[in-house]
Amino acid sequence: MNNFQLLEYGAWGLSALLGLWMLIDLIRTDKTYSEELLTSSKEGEIEDALVIDPPHQGGHL
Amino acid sequence: MTQTTAVHGERISLLRVLGPGHVWALGVGIVLVGEYMGWNFAVGKGGAIAALIACWVAGLLYTCVAMIDSEVTSTVAAAGGQYAQAKHIVGPLMAFNVGLFLVFAYTMLEAANAITLGYLVQTVGSMAGFADTHDKPFIVLTIMFLAWLNYRGVYATLTFNLVITAIAFVAIWVLFFAVQPWSSVYMKHGDLLTGLPYGWLGVLAALHFGMWYYLGIEGTTQAAEEVRSPARALPLGTMTGIITLLIAATMTWYICAGIMPWEYLGQAVTPLFDAARLTDSTLLMVLLFIGTIFSTLASANGCINDASRAWFSMGRDRYLPQVFGAVHPKYRTPYRAIVFLVPVALVFAYFAPLDQVITFSILSGLLEYTFMAINVIMFRQKWPLGVIKRGYVHPFHPLPALVLLLLCSVTYFAVFLGYGTQLIAMMVFYIVASLWFAFHRYKFVRRGAQFTMPWPKPVGY
Amino acid sequence: MAKTPYKPPTQSLLGQTFDTLFLLALVMAALFIPLYLGLAGGGKTTLELKDTTWAGMGQNATMQAQWEKLGFTAGPKTEENATSAAELISSRFDYSFEPVELAITALVVIGYFFIVFHWSKKEYRDVIDERFNNK
Repeated sequence: MNNFQLLEYGAWGLSALLGLWMLIDLIRTDKTYSEELLTSSKEGEIEDALVIDPPHQGGHL
Repeated sequence: MTQTTAVHGERISLLRVLGPGHVWALGVGIVLVGEYMGWNFAVGKGGAIAALIACWVAGLLYTCVAMIDSEVTSTVAAAGGQYAQAKHIVGPLMAFNVGLFLVFAYTMLEAANAITLGYLVQTVGSMAGFADTHDKPFIVLTIMFLAWLNYRGVYATLTFNLVITAIAFVAIWVLFFAVQPWSSVYMKHGDLLTGLPYGWLGVLAALHFGMWYYLGIEGTTQAAEEVRSPARALPLGTMTGIITLLIAATMTWYICAGIMPWEYLGQAVTPLFDAARLTDSTLLMVLLFIGTIFSTLASANGCINDASRAWFSMGRDRYLPQVFGAVHPKYRTPYRAIVFLVPVALVFAYFAPLDQVITFSILSGLLEYTFMAINVIMFRQKWPLGVIKRGYVHPFHPLPALVLLLLCSVTYFAVFLGYGTQLIAMMVFYIVASLWFAFHRYKFVRRGAQFTMPWPKPVGY
Repeated sequence: MAKTPYKPPTQSLLGQTFDTLFLLALVMAALFIPLYLGLAGGGKTTLELKDTTWAGMGQNATMQAQWEKLGFTAGPKTEENATSAAELISSRFDYSFEPVELAITALVVIGYFFIVFHWSKKEYRDVIDERFNNK
């Protein structure tokens, strides 16, 4: 066991963590919102004003 | 969190937050890695001079691509880019094929980047004296981390890309001035250039990897539903992007061809890093190593962004299962498409050899450019100038389209010379996929509703 | 003249899953079958090098200096001389091909585009009819 191996295990661990995070968030999101809302995006809506924002803005302003 | 149902008329869309700088970063970020590695295989294919000719011929090809793309996409501003263009201009089956070209060109490129990054980290480990090092954990981490970043929001993702792409671009400039191109202290073109080892056939063959200088610049269109002002930002970002790349490609060739024998350069893994090594400057070595790492990250990152937009918009139109047409209510990203493409990229990066992955990516790109040339001619026929409002009108039509078509044919021949079997395998794949779409999948697609642009009826219908 | 718009059936979740898997399997097959059959990759040949000194391999003094700086040595590649540049220098691509193969490949690519454009045109007419005649 050397330092590089530690780094390798760290990389595996972090990958698993990030993957798990995405998976859990995906499942939670799918359960929280209706499928109708989630797939409500339409092509060709150039005007942002037509779209009513859901409660969250995701940290973007 | 409370149960939320859609109020009548409430919708979620992708978030419009990006500016022209992000578009530049998306386009150049995907491609700049080609300057750090990959382009030099063109040297192996036909010698250093052939690589320079290929660099400029491919540069012309991509200038046509950028001009055509700017016009069509500033008008058809929709996620999915060329896919949405094909849907409005050519028809559903072409659109399905184009969507697949996009997804596979980008996912394969993402895999290639992850493989390279893993290799680099492993090399550093070996150089530091550690025995028994592996690249796989870093390949996987690259894909997972960037997918996570993409999942969490487009603004942070592309701002990250802007920063690392700019650093990688500046690194090339620094190296260019450090080797003093005006003197012969480092630059020895006179002694190192050897003519054409394969004759003119080698020049043709070099075009295969000459594309690598620019492959992916057309991905800027994928951001169409996320830029604040598509009609302005997309042409601006795309055109400044191709200019950036033409400059970077020529500088890269000049540095590398003047410092390494072509037999080495043609098979090197990281040519710019090697050039820095040959200057004996530790500072330059570190800088170019960072540039190499950043450019692979930026490229993989942009690829995830583009591939998921294309997959998402096909799901939204039910060209693919409609579950993929979902947008995350909080992060406003096509989250299911992003997650779905993670294992696909992992499989390619984990099991397939690098040159195969690159060839698949190049071939899908090539098919896409062939489509684009015909597409723009049909676009001008069906909606002549003045009928609809275009954000940008490219000059000299139809010359760029014809040049593009000609250069594509030559490049098919170049790919045929090295990878004829893959070319056929790829065509069989797209033919089977087309049959599947035409006879099975298309029945789930709404007909008139998929035409979403507020345009008049096309001429001739 | 009002035409009824085409109403697509809704696909079940199972059907959606199956379609996704089918497409994935197809991609894997296209990528891995040529690999598995050993058909992947271009042909390569090796130049016969009689003399493996730097000069004998056609390298001038400048080239030699750069090779050595990159960590390579002259001489034939052996166990003891693992850093020999001879292998890199003598490696060449084989660009010979059969005209018949080229013709078949060209036919496949052109045929593919022809059929896709043709079929798309048929489907496109439906789309335009429904979108513009039906208001």
